Amino acid sequence: MSSVSCSADTPVREKPQPGMAKATPNRIFAAIIRSSAVLVAVLQEIFDESAYQRFLERSRVQSSAKAYAMFQQETEHAKSRRPRCC
Amino acid sequence: MLPTGFLSPMPKLVRVIFWIAVSLLGAFALATIALHRGEQINALWLVVAAVSTYAVGYRFYSSFISAKVLALDPLRATPAERLENGRDFVPTNKWVVFGHHFAAIAGPGPLVGPVLAAQFGYLPGTLWIIAGAVLGGCVQDFVILLFSVRRDGKSLTAMAKSEIGRVGGFVAYVAVLSIIVILLAVTALIVVNALKASPWGAFTIAMTMPIAVLMGLYLRRIRPGKVLETSLLGFVLVVAAIFGGQWVSQTPSWAAIFTLTAPTLAVLIILYGFAASALPVWLLLTPRDYLSTFVKLGTISLLAVGIVALRPSLNMPPLTRFADGNGPVFAGKIFPFAFITIACGAISGFHSLISSGTTPKLIRRETETRFVGYGGMMAESMVAIMAMIAACVLQPGVYFSVNSPAGIVGQAPEAAAATISSWGFPVTAAQMATLAHAVGEQTLFNRTGGAPAFAVGMAQIFSNTLGGQAVMALWYHFAIMFEALFILTIIDAGTRVGRFMLQDALGHIWKPLGRTSWYPSIFFTSALIVAAWGNFLWQGIKDPLGGINSLWPLFGICNQLLATVALCVATTIIVKMGRARYAWVTLGTLCWLVAVTFTASWHKILDPNPRIGFLAHARQLTAAGANPRLIFNDRLDAAVTAVLVVMVATILIESGLECARVISGSKSAATKESPFVLTKLAEEQA
Repeated sequence: MSSVSCSADTPVREKPQPGMAKATPNRIFAAIIRSSAVLVAVLQEIFDESAYQRFLERSRVQSSAKAYAMFQQETEHAKSRRPRCC
Repeated sequence: MLPTGFLSPMPKLVRVIFWIAVSLLGAFALATIALHRGEQINALWLVVAAVSTYAVGYRFYSSFISAKVLALDPLRATPAERLENGRDFVPTNKWVVFGHHFAAIAGPGPLVGPVLAAQFGYLPGTLWIIAGAVLGGCVQDFVILLFSVRRDGKSLTAMAKSEIGRVGGFVAYVAVLSIIVILLAVTALIVVNALKASPWGAFTIAMTMPIAVLMGLYLRRIRPGKVLETSLLGFVLVVAAIFGGQWVSQTPSWAAIFTLTAPTLAVLIILYGFAASALPVWLLLTPRDYLSTFVKLGTISLLAVGIVALRPSLNMPPLTRFADGNGPVFAGKIFPFAFITIACGAISGFHSLISSGTTPKLIRRETETRFVGYGGMMAESMVAIMAMIAACVLQPGVYFSVNSPAGIVGQAPEAAAATISSWGFPVTAAQMATLAHAVGEQTLFNRTGGAPAFAVGMAQIFSNTLGGQAVMALWYHFAIMFEALFILTIIDAGTRVGRFMLQDALGHIWKPLGRTSWYPSIFFTSALIVAAWGNFLWQGIKDPLGGINSLWPLFGICNQLLATVALCVATTIIVKMGRARYAWVTLGTLCWLVAVTFTASWHKILDPNPRIGFLAHARQLTAAGANPRLIFNDRLDAAVTAVLVVMVATILIESGLECARVISGSKSAATKESPFVLTKLAEEQA
């Protein structure tokens, strides 16, 4: 699984730390990095890039036109049945 | 959006003061928008009222439901963990699931519904959006998501079948299929009304087809798997197409080619729907889907920034004279019609399909269903508030000029302007001509359906924030492109979903029809689905009252009846969980929706006013010797509404009997949950 994909490893703070931390520049920078990582992970999941990475890892193949065609074939059934909301 | 645990490090006293302050601010903002009369108010009051109410609802109401009603268990393994296969079942970070869920539930509904309901003024719609979401829509999405998570990600129809009975499953199936057909027809009608006689818009949308094919080839052959990069490239090409559309509209020979009538556009969309359902998805549909999601998320964010940056005043009064039921956009009084017109921004049955579809298979921990289900619907509701603002920043005269059908206000601009001015909303033909010129259209009269009015409002907000009046035409066509693009995505995806549902059902009658890769079956079932929604679309474009007057209420009734089914399932499960004393959480909303949908259905079928009642309209047409096809359409609409109401009444009775059996003790209170398995995440955390 890629480091910023939709896994349990994505660095999002689940619970706030006890006590009110001071907003130092380092902490602010770290918060921005964390937020960006989450945003990228969200976009990668929405746009199926993470699903493709998982497919490559599961199938143990390198990314290629053929691998992507196989991935699309595999996901077509599920995607075709997924309704879009009104 | 407030994540779980937000503010927990604060000392208790500070927390109490904070939430009292938020509650008071929300109450003050709600009082301001409800009691302010005579003067314009700033749109930010709507935003403050909504955000404060959502915050309080999330912090307290959803917390109560989590703890007391559903008893969320952080130690219970979810299907994403137990059945993880790296494909459908994947434990996913809650923010990622939230984004995924929101992208799936956000469609044209929360944009179009509030624009149409703005004919009553901004107040009824805004109050319904806020209250309906916090007490109804968010709760429905949350509980259905949790119940699906506890049943290995089962669909709503499967849960209805296992928890209520076979009739429940059948009714849910028919309701889902009906809503898909009506949804496709009404959204196609919105696109037709937005693109008719608009060479700029028609060209831009036509160009999205070759752009999507290019994206498909790029994604498959050149940069496999780089979807974000490809979508960005597609977005740049679409923006170029918008500029190209301007050139087309100003070049007479090209403008003539792309100036299409409503029937021509309808035929093209019907053909597109059939082709999209029957052809492989990778070349056209998948890239279009990505592109539409990309544009949708970007534009919604942009609109939020625009509203906050511009802080526009609302020109629409809080209540208009059309509260009496004689509105030109659609006929009918505030109760029940405002509540079925705005569905997706307040409560939408369709969301229950998403909450019991992909999302439950991604949830990592049970406790995260609150954030994804309740929180996702709050974000959707906020989009509806923004749409209401976009409609209400327009001068009321302009709003009614755009949204009123020719059958009500007259075909000639002068006659239409005079009629609308006589209602107390002054507007002139010259003013509308200037506005049409500013947005690059030949006329803005009689553009029913909500999308053009939303685009004009959005263009005003965008152009006042960035670029000024000089670029208003570009912003207008950007907004039209944005709406048409993702409506067409709904049409192609919806037609395929409907086709699969039909194949599943017909496969029980004759096995080969159920084979999803057998071309005769694909063509046959695609043709059936396209014929079903194409018939309603054709009815809409031939309707002298604009089509929206008939089809949007029909769509709203279908959607809310589906929500009724979802809440029936939820209430039955809560009772079976042995928590009947908390069943009011879903039962209250269920009763309200039954009152709304059954009253609306009664009016739509039997009301003596021909603008409201289908049968009264059919009688009027018969007396006038109108085309028998128009008369048949009215009777068909009445029949569809009646059948759906009878079916939902059946599921209500069955659900009520099941609950009564459990409460009286004649049946054991056993739900069909998957067995408890301790989550490994708890060990990891420890």
